[in-house]
Amino acid sequence: MTDGAILAVRDVVKRFGGVAAVDGASFDVRRGSITALIGPNGAGKTTLFNVVTGFAHADGGDVVYEGRSIRGRPAHAIARRGLVRTFQITKALAAMPVLDNMTVAAPRQPGEHLPLLVARPLAARRREREVRARARELLARFGLEGKADEYAGTLSGGQRKLLELARALMAEPRLVLLDEPMAGVNLTLGATLLAHVHALRDEQGTTFLLIEHDMEVVMGHSDRVVCMAQGRVIADGAPEAVRTDPRVIDAYLGAVAG
Amino acid sequence: MIPLAVSLDALSTADFWIGVGVLAGTYAIFTLGLQLNVGFTGIINFGQAGFMAIGAYAMGILVVEAGWSMWLALPAAIAIAMLAGVLIGLPSLRLRADYFAIATIALAEIIRYTAQNARGLTGGNQGLLGFDDQWLDVSDTILGWLPEAWQGQFLLPLLIVVWLTALVLTGLLIALQRSPWGRVLRAIREDQDAARALGKNVFAYKLQSIALAAALGAIAGWFLALNLSFLHPTSFEPQFTFIGFTILVLGGLGSYVGVMVASLLLWALLEATRFIDLPLAAEKVAALRFVIVGVALILLVAFRPQGLLGKRQEMVLHD
Repeated sequence: MTDGAILAVRDVVKRFGGVAAVDGASFDVRRGSITALIGPNGAGKTTLFNVVTGFAHADGGDVVYEGRSIRGRPAHAIARRGLVRTFQITKALAAMPVLDNMTVAAPRQPGEHLPLLVARPLAARRREREVRARARELLARFGLEGKADEYAGTLSGGQRKLLELARALMAEPRLVLLDEPMAGVNLTLGATLLAHVHALRDEQGTTFLLIEHDMEVVMGHSDRVVCMAQGRVIADGAPEAVRTDPRVIDAYLGAVAG
Repeated sequence: MIPLAVSLDALSTADFWIGVGVLAGTYAIFTLGLQLNVGFTGIINFGQAGFMAIGAYAMGILVVEAGWSMWLALPAAIAIAMLAGVLIGLPSLRLRADYFAIATIALAEIIRYTAQNARGLTGGNQGLLGFDDQWLDVSDTILGWLPEAWQGQFLLPLLIVVWLTALVLTGLLIALQRSPWGRVLRAIREDQDAARALGKNVFAYKLQSIALAAALGAIAGWFLALNLSFLHPTSFEPQFTFIGFTILVLGGLGSYVGVMVASLLLWALLEATRFIDLPLAAEKVAALRFVIVGVALILLVAFRPQGLLGKRQEMVLHD
């Protein structure tokens, strides 16, 4: 693990039956960076996300986050340590109000545990006030304050993407994994979303790792690009260097041709 | 002769309505557990009659066979039912929801067959008697407080206690539902992967949900036992779980108050149809009652899927 890396993926292997979706992938994510993970369809990007976040268990290799191995840890435990993900297909909690979508994500709420809820109701109430204030602040920041009391299921696709990012931030993450945050989002909302990513990185030092297909977004907004193909990392470096890497061009053209 | 005449005499007696009220209160408590699981956690529990059986038999056996005081046997019965809930949840709650549903129905049947065959403990098909002496003392005391005119209604104290319990439990569950704990449950109902990604231990919450539902089933079991003063395996057949589901759908998913209202309505209907005056054999009339309930349920799902008090919007929203 290099100095300043918040996440290190080491020789990760994930097989489904005989197929290795991730086949010995290794790379680092530098603290405070916006790192893009690119690659043709089927390269293993989402599977790698699943392994890193505990939604799938690796068959080999290691995942080191903040200096400690998190391989095999349950998803909720990883999230609690500040490694929070979003999903390719948004998971809005549809039949819950937008505000509840936000507040449920807050950590350290004693009222979420039955014994503490009974034993320390005032602590739960106090925390609830903080959490609601924080949720409203973030909703305002993302332009969703007017939707706070609506069911999340009534939001448009783009608004759901914003809500999912805002909700991930409620969990007080140090590293956010975004799975295709721009997919299905119109240009204006997309620009808003990217502006938020930059602002959060600059203000709070939050690290972002995002899977993205839009090359303009990747080149214009990331500090570092990791390219996967067929389960392996084939290039890892500055955006311009990766874009002109013949192996990367080959992987994409090969995928188009194949 | 009017073919569908109902003998109204029976329906106008206090006996009838007190009997309906006790059953409705008992099954309201029973269905509160289903509401917690199905309506608020998104897990399907088909074994509620099993937890009810555990509550009833554990109480009965501890009193009759082990000589415990009923006051100790009641909480012990809850604890045993909760333990059973956790034991069935541990291997099956990590699997897909339908596996858990199948496991719960299997558990309920295992319990019923055990009750039928462990004759030394449960009395088998002979039934179990004599566990309610302490309750009858309490019942007499309560009757003594009531106006003289009502003192002939020996089920009235049970009616009062059942409904007080049902209302207190409903209040507690509503408070829980509005707490941060309840919010996590709803998040799990909506999308358990999203809940996991936000740091919630989904499995632990589902276990708590099933354990609490089992406790509610066990409490319903006490009241069923006290109502019948006699325990028999046929009182715990799977159809009782489905009566609970009928109440759940009728009242509306996601509404505890709906459970109360629907239980009263369904039991009034079920018991009133006993008195349908048809030129048919008694067992055919008995079967017809369930046909009527079934048709009512189908019409309900077709025309008012949110039930009496559920929110239609919550049913049509999805990702």
